[in-house]
Amino acid sequence: MMPYFVDTVRSLFVTMRNVLRKPTTVHFPMERRVRTERYRASFALLHDQAGEELCIGCKACERICPSEVITVDAEKRESSVTGKKRSYAKAFTLDQNACIYCELCVQVCPTDAIVMTRTAQEPAFHRQTLCLNMERLYDNERTQPLTWANASRLIEMQSPPAKEPAKAQDNEDAGKGQAP
Amino acid sequence: MSPYLRALIYSLVIITLLLTITAWSIWFERKFSARMQSRVGPTFYGPFGLLQPVVDGLKLLQKEFLIPESADRALFVLAPPLTVILALGTAAVVPFGPDVMAADLDVGVLYILALGSLTTIPVWIAGWASNNKYSLLGGMRAVAQGISYEIPLALAALVPVILAGSMSLADIVNYQIQHGWFAFWPPGPGFFAFLFFLPASLAEANRIPFDIPEAESELIAGVTTEYTGMGFGLLYLAEYLHTLIVSAVASALFFGGWDGPFLPGLHWMVAKTLVLFAGIFAIRWSLVRFRSDQLMGICWRYLVPIGLGLVMVSAIWVQLAKAGAQ
Amino acid sequence: MEVEVASSAGSASREIPANQHPLSNCPTAKTRRGDPYLDIAAYDPEADLMVLNLGPQHPSTHGVFRLKLYLDGEMIVKAVPFCGYLHRGVEKLCEKLTYVQLVPIFDKNDYVSPMMNEQSLVMAFESLLGVEVPRRARYLRTLLAELQRIASHLLWFGAFAMDLGGALGGGSTLFMYCFRERELILDVFEELTGCRFHYNTHMIGGNRHDIPTGWAAKVHSAIDIIERRLIEYESYLTTNRIYLDRTRGVGVVDADLAMELGITGPILRAAGIDHDLRRDAPYHAYDELEVRVTTATAGDCEARTQIRLAEIRESIRLVRLMIDGIPEGPLGSRKPIKSNLAEKSDRGQAYAAVESPRGELGIYVMGGGANRGASPYRLKIRSPSLHALSCLPYVLPGHVVSDAVAILGSVDPIMGEVDR
Repeated sequence: MMPYFVDTVRSLFVTMRNVLRKPTTVHFPMERRVRTERYRASFALLHDQAGEELCIGCKACERICPSEVITVDAEKRESSVTGKKRSYAKAFTLDQNACIYCELCVQVCPTDAIVMTRTAQEPAFHRQTLCLNMERLYDNERTQPLTWANASRLIEMQSPPAKEPAKAQDNEDAGKGQAP
Repeated sequence: MSPYLRALIYSLVIITLLLTITAWSIWFERKFSARMQSRVGPTFYGPFGLLQPVVDGLKLLQKEFLIPESADRALFVLAPPLTVILALGTAAVVPFGPDVMAADLDVGVLYILALGSLTTIPVWIAGWASNNKYSLLGGMRAVAQGISYEIPLALAALVPVILAGSMSLADIVNYQIQHGWFAFWPPGPGFFAFLFFLPASLAEANRIPFDIPEAESELIAGVTTEYTGMGFGLLYLAEYLHTLIVSAVASALFFGGWDGPFLPGLHWMVAKTLVLFAGIFAIRWSLVRFRSDQLMGICWRYLVPIGLGLVMVSAIWVQLAKAGAQ
Repeated sequence: MEVEVASSAGSASREIPANQHPLSNCPTAKTRRGDPYLDIAAYDPEADLMVLNLGPQHPSTHGVFRLKLYLDGEMIVKAVPFCGYLHRGVEKLCEKLTYVQLVPIFDKNDYVSPMMNEQSLVMAFESLLGVEVPRRARYLRTLLAELQRIASHLLWFGAFAMDLGGALGGGSTLFMYCFRERELILDVFEELTGCRFHYNTHMIGGNRHDIPTGWAAKVHSAIDIIERRLIEYESYLTTNRIYLDRTRGVGVVDADLAMELGITGPILRAAGIDHDLRRDAPYHAYDELEVRVTTATAGDCEARTQIRLAEIRESIRLVRLMIDGIPEGPLGSRKPIKSNLAEKSDRGQAYAAVESPRGELGIYVMGGGANRGASPYRLKIRSPSLHALSCLPYVLPGHVVSDAVAILGSVDPIMGEVDR
């Protein structure tokens, strides 16, 4: 009979110790947690330095998407910046209802046009709100903080080096990793 | 004034106060359990979330009280108010101060035990009337647990009665004021009686670790599965109320009731009650529950024999004290 | 209850014939407690059996899972499990998607330990396509697998306590504590991959995300905290009399039953059989590490809990060994994914298995499918939870409903991989 009481007191010690600790929860939605650099939440399409849209409508992201959430309509027209004819995306829809946030579309983009953002899409009342079209994707570029990862950086991180020094493979020194 | 009018006024005041304290015990439990679990608890409604019970009550009121089609309608509707009534009835003899109680019965302890054992019945009614296998299991377990744990409860409550020589709670408290709190003097029977009173009353009130009747992880919500809206609210209110009354009775029987320096008696009584109440909550949020046969094993194999022994020891003590006084 | 710790050089605590694989059918099965094919009509005309559905909607069935119990009073006479409520047709989907696209889908299989799913899939593909993985990627995969094992077992522990104690009570307290510790590991994963839970951090030939600066320090602090808190959990729950009453002697899965049903993982080790893929069939970088495997002999819920906690400690030890010594080198041996159809294969087949926190998670793949060989022809997932659940009709009869919930919790099924 006594072990029950003794163990009760012991469990109470653990819980009371936690009463005295600082709570670990964040008062969402009034406060938000600080996300890491690589956190991937929503999407954005980018312009380049000259103000030109980077997306060329090549549909690589549409082909690779495992959930088939991206739909791209391509067209050829004159660029407003350089004056030359090039291909653009006429319409770009990304349906976040079904997206699995796998980052494959980011990785395959040849022009680094699509990237992910670090703030999540807010919950919505209508499904259409979660369906991002081009206007909202370009909006996200201006308003949301972007993730570290874009296609070039991912490729650089994952590529086997062109030259492999023979000693590096058996090197057991402290691994420092490639700096982002 | 006429004793009946006095009793009525005191009853109304006590009922109102008890219901208010019970409502805010919901807030307290949520905050306390949140701190134990490394989180914060309600903060949204009112400063520190103090209006949370009000909001919860309003929410429950505006929900539909669904009665399943094949449920026993009369019994289904009867059970929740009956639990509250029985719990409140127990509060009539609890002494909140030197002259602050609704009725100073000279069989106060017996009255509390009787009503406490009656509280098992509405739980059983709710389990049966719901026409739901989970509720039925919960109700049957509640009956088995309730009637078994009445015995250690009675035996543990008997120790202060024997030591004080009276069943009236006011007399017990007065005796403790003169001779020292029963939990500490005489050393032995009083303390262990309290240690056994606590689990027995937790079992009567269906609190963890004895909450098999409403074991949420096994039986969805056990006895309360089919109840929605205010029926559910009343059942939970009754549970908290029962716990509050039990802590008040325990502090009157074992910890001296309104005894204490400086502050008026009512404050001490409330303080002791709330300390025990917080302790019961802390136990709830720290322990896993028993299996029903282990629960019964503890009652019949440990609590009852040791309880009988405690009654014997306290009777011997009283005789020795009388012999020593002569 | 004895708990033995066997090292790599140790011997098995149960004799397995030299030419018999531990997972082969064992013809010498002893009589078990329950008969899953019990004829209810002929059981006992006097007994009034009640059918209770621990139905698909239940606070503690670890996912959508229906367990039909025939109760005599409160004692279970026969238990019939029904799974399939979470079937999503993953294996059919594998015939349509290409090798490159399949890796992120597989996170959702055993949704509690996604690293293991990705790793087993990627290993199977690499075996099929004949791709070598560089040393750095192998080490990183091992490290991530061990971290994921800690996170998965912490989640299990919290859920198990909830099963025992209820969502409004002592169990939920431990649940919150475990999740608080698990957040540390998830934050570590977020630093590395960008996603807290379904990472897509593996690719055929290596990994996709490399270690950022300062990651090793974060891992160290996370596992230091977890190690300290484990001691707290043990004084809170696993030495508590009430918990021991609930789990000791409950749900005994003996060695014969486990072998016959193909159960692997902690359940097998709790039954006394010393079998762990990390040591017996090493993959990734496990051949360079000495994995200490814990076994027990009791086979009950308490033994399984002890083994999982010991596995957390072992994983902490392995992470500490690895985190400061990851070899330099390339992260992948193939070029990064640029197209859907990057990997193609002819007809061939491969099987690869990892030791997931639940047991042997294996992927069997046959190449040469649609998209001119860029998709598999057939992919079969050998999920450990499915085999673990099949022990329920044998183990449950003779217990009460409360025990059923405890046993189901300790068996740790994840319906995502049971139903695929």
